[in-house]
Amino acid sequence: MLIKRTHQRSDRRGSVAESLAGQAGGLDRRSFLRRSGLAGGALAALSTLPVGSVRKAQAAAAGPLAAGAIVKKSICTHCAVGCTVTAEVLNGVWVGQEPSWDSPINRGSHCAKGASVRELVHSDRRLRYPMKLVNGQWTRVSWDTAVNEIGDKLMQVREKSGSDSVYWLGSAKMTNEGSYLFRKFGAFWGTNNTDHQARICHSTTVTGVANTWGYGAMTNSINDMRNSKTMLFIGSNAAEAHPVSMQHLLESKELNKANFIVFDPRLTRTAAHATEYVRIRPGTDIPVLYGMMWHILKNGWEDKDFIAQRVYGFDDLRKEVEKWNPQETERVTGVPAAQLERVAKMFATVKPATIIWCMGQTQHTVGTANVRASCIALLMTGNVGRSGGGANILRGHDNVQGATDVGLDIVTLPFYYGLAEGAWKHWSRVWEVDYDYLVSRFDDKKQMETPGIPLTRWFDAALLPKADVAQKDNVKAVFVQGHASNSITRIPESLKGLNALELLVIADPHPTTWAALSVEAGRKDGVYILPVATQFECTGSRVASNRSMQWGEQIVKPIFESKDDLEIIYLMAKKFGFADKMFKNIKVENNLPVAEDVLREINRGSWSTGYCGQSPERIKAHMKNQGKFDLVTMRAPKDDPEVGGDYYGLPWPCWGSPEVKHPGSPLLYNTNLPVMDGGGAFRPRFGIEREEKLADGTTRKVSLLADKSFPKGSEIEDGYPEFTLASLKKLGWDGDLTEAEMATIKRVNAANPDAVSWSLDLSGGIQRVALKHGCVPFGNGKARMNAFGLPDPIPVHREPIYTPRVDLVEKYPTLPDAKQFRLPNIGFSVQKAAVEKGIAKQFPLILSSGRLVEYEGGGEETRTNPWLAELQQDMFIEISPADAADRGIKDGGWVWVSGAENNSRARMKALVTERVGKGVAWMPFHFGGWFGGADLRKNYPAGTDPIVLGESANTITSYGYDPATGMQEPKVTLCQIVAA
Amino acid sequence: MARMKFLCDADRCIECNACVTACKNEHEVPWGINRRRVVTINDGKPGERSISMACMHCTDAPCAAVCPVNCFYTTADAVVLHSKDLCIGCGYCFYACPFGAPQYPKVGNFGSRGKMDKCTFCAGGPEADGSKEEYEKYGANRLAEGKLPLCAEMCSTKSLLAGDGEIIAQIYKERVTRRGYGSGAWGWKTAYRESIES
Amino acid sequence: MVSLFRLMRLAVGGLAFLLLVSMLPAPANAQQVNPTASAVKEQQLLQELNRIQGRISIPDQRAGVLEQPAGRDWREFRNVTLRWIGGIAIVGMIAAIVIFYLTRGMVRIESGRSGRTIVRFNAYERFVHWMTATCFVILALSGLNITFGRSLLLPLIGFEAFSHWSQLAKFAHIYLSFPFTLGVVLIFLMWIAGNIPNKVDVEWVKRGGGLFNNDHPPAYRFNAGQKMIYWIVVIGGGLVAATGYLLMFPFYLSGIEGMQLAQIVHSIVAVLFVAAMLGHIYIGSIGMEGAFEAMGTGTVDVNWSKQHHALWFQQQNAPTDSAEPKSAAQPAE
Repeated sequence: MLIKRTHQRSDRRGSVAESLAGQAGGLDRRSFLRRSGLAGGALAALSTLPVGSVRKAQAAAAGPLAAGAIVKKSICTHCAVGCTVTAEVLNGVWVGQEPSWDSPINRGSHCAKGASVRELVHSDRRLRYPMKLVNGQWTRVSWDTAVNEIGDKLMQVREKSGSDSVYWLGSAKMTNEGSYLFRKFGAFWGTNNTDHQARICHSTTVTGVANTWGYGAMTNSINDMRNSKTMLFIGSNAAEAHPVSMQHLLESKELNKANFIVFDPRLTRTAAHATEYVRIRPGTDIPVLYGMMWHILKNGWEDKDFIAQRVYGFDDLRKEVEKWNPQETERVTGVPAAQLERVAKMFATVKPATIIWCMGQTQHTVGTANVRASCIALLMTGNVGRSGGGANILRGHDNVQGATDVGLDIVTLPFYYGLAEGAWKHWSRVWEVDYDYLVSRFDDKKQMETPGIPLTRWFDAALLPKADVAQKDNVKAVFVQGHASNSITRIPESLKGLNALELLVIADPHPTTWAALSVEAGRKDGVYILPVATQFECTGSRVASNRSMQWGEQIVKPIFESKDDLEIIYLMAKKFGFADKMFKNIKVENNLPVAEDVLREINRGSWSTGYCGQSPERIKAHMKNQGKFDLVTMRAPKDDPEVGGDYYGLPWPCWGSPEVKHPGSPLLYNTNLPVMDGGGAFRPRFGIEREEKLADGTTRKVSLLADKSFPKGSEIEDGYPEFTLASLKKLGWDGDLTEAEMATIKRVNAANPDAVSWSLDLSGGIQRVALKHGCVPFGNGKARMNAFGLPDPIPVHREPIYTPRVDLVEKYPTLPDAKQFRLPNIGFSVQKAAVEKGIAKQFPLILSSGRLVEYEGGGEETRTNPWLAELQQDMFIEISPADAADRGIKDGGWVWVSGAENNSRARMKALVTERVGKGVAWMPFHFGGWFGGADLRKNYPAGTDPIVLGESANTITSYGYDPATGMQEPKVTLCQIVAA
Repeated sequence: MARMKFLCDADRCIECNACVTACKNEHEVPWGINRRRVVTINDGKPGERSISMACMHCTDAPCAAVCPVNCFYTTADAVVLHSKDLCIGCGYCFYACPFGAPQYPKVGNFGSRGKMDKCTFCAGGPEADGSKEEYEKYGANRLAEGKLPLCAEMCSTKSLLAGDGEIIAQIYKERVTRRGYGSGAWGWKTAYRESIES
Repeated sequence: MVSLFRLMRLAVGGLAFLLLVSMLPAPANAQQVNPTASAVKEQQLLQELNRIQGRISIPDQRAGVLEQPAGRDWREFRNVTLRWIGGIAIVGMIAAIVIFYLTRGMVRIESGRSGRTIVRFNAYERFVHWMTATCFVILALSGLNITFGRSLLLPLIGFEAFSHWSQLAKFAHIYLSFPFTLGVVLIFLMWIAGNIPNKVDVEWVKRGGGLFNNDHPPAYRFNAGQKMIYWIVVIGGGLVAATGYLLMFPFYLSGIEGMQLAQIVHSIVAVLFVAAMLGHIYIGSIGMEGAFEAMGTGTVDVNWSKQHHALWFQQQNAPTDSAEPKSAAQPAE
């Protein structure tokens, strides 16, 4: 028999075990389990294992480390779970990727994307140098030329059409520092037209959830779901969108014998592991949740104490729920009453229970109301603010939570301060720049305080009559840094928009569909492409879905001529002449702003959201000590010298200055812990009392503060409003402030220091004192079932704009047309016209869209990665066997899909499967590079085309915008499919 | 002595394909060669299960038995490896393999299958451990570095287990007992002539 | 042959599985499901179909076969059954020839050589024959190497030399298949006329073809024995060519089970073919005086013709009715 050949290193030949025997180190059972990621937690009971196969290993006897490679840690860029990526770098080349065993989040694991990120950096299809479109040809230019020409053109547009006519589209893939600077750049440029992917993934979550209880973020963490007894997924396909989260969720299912309930129109890969699968009609989340609540209220399964102490508006809600009796619920959603009752009982009685959602809930015209209904279900059962419960909202990009928090958004300045004068003044103090200077940068003060245009509608803003766009002029130029265009609905319309622009700048590691489609739209010039480094070539912090901040090291230097996001922002600021002001307190080395300095500036201004305690030093210490954090609580032992008592990544809010050493808040609104241990309460953000009209015409005032509920150890044992200097004085706690803190408070508002609040006090003193007395700086209020101020204060079912159930439109119409975000939203007219024209007869199938595990977002980056592209080579549409048989469509055959608007059509393969129910079709949304059956490969700059191209789902998707956020509607529209 | 095995816990596998790309990443496996793959049974139906499959490093391996040139060998860890220097690309191992593990690069217009390529359990090949030649022909040799196969190490849900057969069988048994269900240690009966009673 | 049967069962099973899957009715109420409880079980699938197949997203659909334990049966065939069949056929044939030669010796031209010759195969026929024959010999040796080389040759020459030789043999096997197949087709076309079985053949067979005594039954151009060789070449050659190409272009026409079956047919037919050809070679060379010339120079002695192909000889002479049959100038050696 053949054996391993003899070589000079004769001691290392033959069987591995032999060669390893007797050497130092060891792959004994303990290290085996560790290497399998199985040590600790669920499998602690493995002590019963027989002691077998004790093998010795000399670690790094071979491999890159033996050759002198160094290890760098960064964060995977492909979703918001926050997996640590461990890279081995040899001579500046990323040569190997190893499991990140120490990370409490991924414990060595990755999904297909995470396990292949090394290729993103290496890819020879990446952009190498800046290019511009000249007479329809992509032509190489230098960085200097590109920045100068772009800058000059933008100044020209600004002079002619005003500062709002340039649309600045940033990215959730930027670090906190990058997205913060991008937003700050918008402020210095003078516009609120600065947006990023959160608009199209979780803008409705942020708005809906913040309006319910204070902050728009996941309340608990993926690790905390290990404590859940019931997990209810509605609009989340975690197995494909957040695969590593499934490690925790499946273990929770196994160890707790937890109920694993999946509501979805498709029997997804997640549903395959469910203990109960509920198939719903797309767009009926609110009815199905109300249908559940109907059973809960009927049987008295609600948490009455919790509601009494911590919830506002329960009676208003009850009236709406009563409409959703089992018959009506089944009529609208298609879910059998018996199943819904069973699920309702599980959810309400097998506690703690959590709801997990994602874009299945958010991407709707009723997205905000959808997520509110989920919050309400949790409030009703007392499942918020406790371990194992909560709203576990899984987000989609590595830093989409962070980018949202740092305010890369159209409705607010960083950290949700809003756009009012007070907010601008706060940030002008943090930035140490004159408020009046900032005002001068805008077209006028009104525009400065008006929310901008959502990215979903940039092309409407370019195309609609000038009078319909509530700013000085239409959008004339788009500067997009790290955002796909095929993620945005109504692609046929966006093609017209691309043609209408005077300038398009695409800053990205890949040319993206912006480039391919602008050539397709007929553009011959006025398009620039700037090569941007991937996040693995950048340094900085990212915030995972669970609000943990993690620091990513630069793994390798930007390759080719790519530049760091921060450098590009700096170069543009320099070109426009405000770099000195904008980077006043930030060190810039070789045109590259120092990330740590940017984070320190964020710390100094982010009191409202509690990024104030997350200094770069603390975050880096966490990365260094990852292995010390507990798998379930995510807390480090109290006695650790560097990270003692901290929760992993200091999940915000991390109150006070870094010196206060707040450990972070792993669970929001948790009254079971002292505030200094991460406890909290609901935030009274919408006043402290509300005047309600009663049936008899009289009014009464109802408190919005908590009733005898308070975080453990609080010195105030009841609800209370936010802390200000005045309230400290009232409590007699103002004496706890130091002189320096007092001086800062007086500087913040010299005229009326008493009005300075916890969120405006740049000294952090008010927060420190509140914490000292066991109080939450923002106060202790009630969560709102009735979120007065929103278009639907109590969520109301509204049929999708394009619905097959035209019989329900009259009873459940969408909201009336209105003007929102500077633009008209004519959803009602579109819905009415669709019903009148009989669109549902012509296009009888519901079309929904979603995620594939191999790709992310618009997919250009992942479709360029051969390791991933090989696994999904064709765009496809899922269709049920019955619908396929009716149309003579074969599995794997080509079909034409046509949409309800713009005579849109797209050619792709059919996947005939029972995964989708009859009458429903489903497409992945990652493909691009085809349009209307035509392959656009030639439109990409030579050598930069992704390996796999295909039709974009959004070629078919149609009109529909959430009135509260401008969210698009890619989850429900209508289509027809014919064999090609 | 350790007896290396793979075990895919189908009740954990979510077809995320991390094992597939981890393998590509670790060994720079070219396009078209799939040392590991994930197959979904009952796709889209209730009861759907996905299983990650590669060479199972069988006991009394069929590939080795039928190889006309006897290019296979089994290491002391019971890892089934082969020599690409000896392989003639005849394809017989593919007929015999119960798991579809052998892969052949297409090197000519027809017939001329290249040298067979398959999962090495991250244990390289006949060349010296960790040598350049070994890496180029077979990929990395993690076992020699005291590490386990990267596919299993990076598995998103700890579904794919690799290592000493006794330990992973014990882990699987424990899981099944604790959670109360298990669709079986896929391939074990065929590969190792044993099944894990649960 | 048990394994063959099992393979067939497999193929049928696979088909049945596809039917089953496509016809499976949707559950009465698709919404009332517990996907965890209804999970597929490996043992159950294997018991039902002895094969597990699923969906895979890569274009290589054969990768969708998760498990095919039938490989085990194929292995049994290749390592045991085939060796027995091949061994018995080939060694048996050689033994028979040796015994026959020792007992019967060379079949002589009874009346001695006449010195006059007659054309039996023209240049074209001989070219086709020898092209096919050369290819066959190399194909046979390279083929036998795949089955027997590992146990017979490898121990003698070592791994590297054996692999090197086998690699060359594999290429030869692949490339020579084309002229071989062409030869088989041409043989089929050019000699079909003389190879249709008729009554004379019955008589010939009854009399043992004169092999065991000197009672040589009359025959036309091809006697029953030669007709047998012809049909073995045409049918056997056709089968090995067809199955060979199936194996040469993997997965173009069939899945793994079809290829296993093809390999089984290919190898069984091939070893029997080799055994038959050994007999053919024997009788065409040392087994019979005057036979080799037919394919060597193309001419045969008149007396040989009279002895073995009396009817053909008459036919040859009848049209001209000449005392001098068509003869070559040179006598056969």
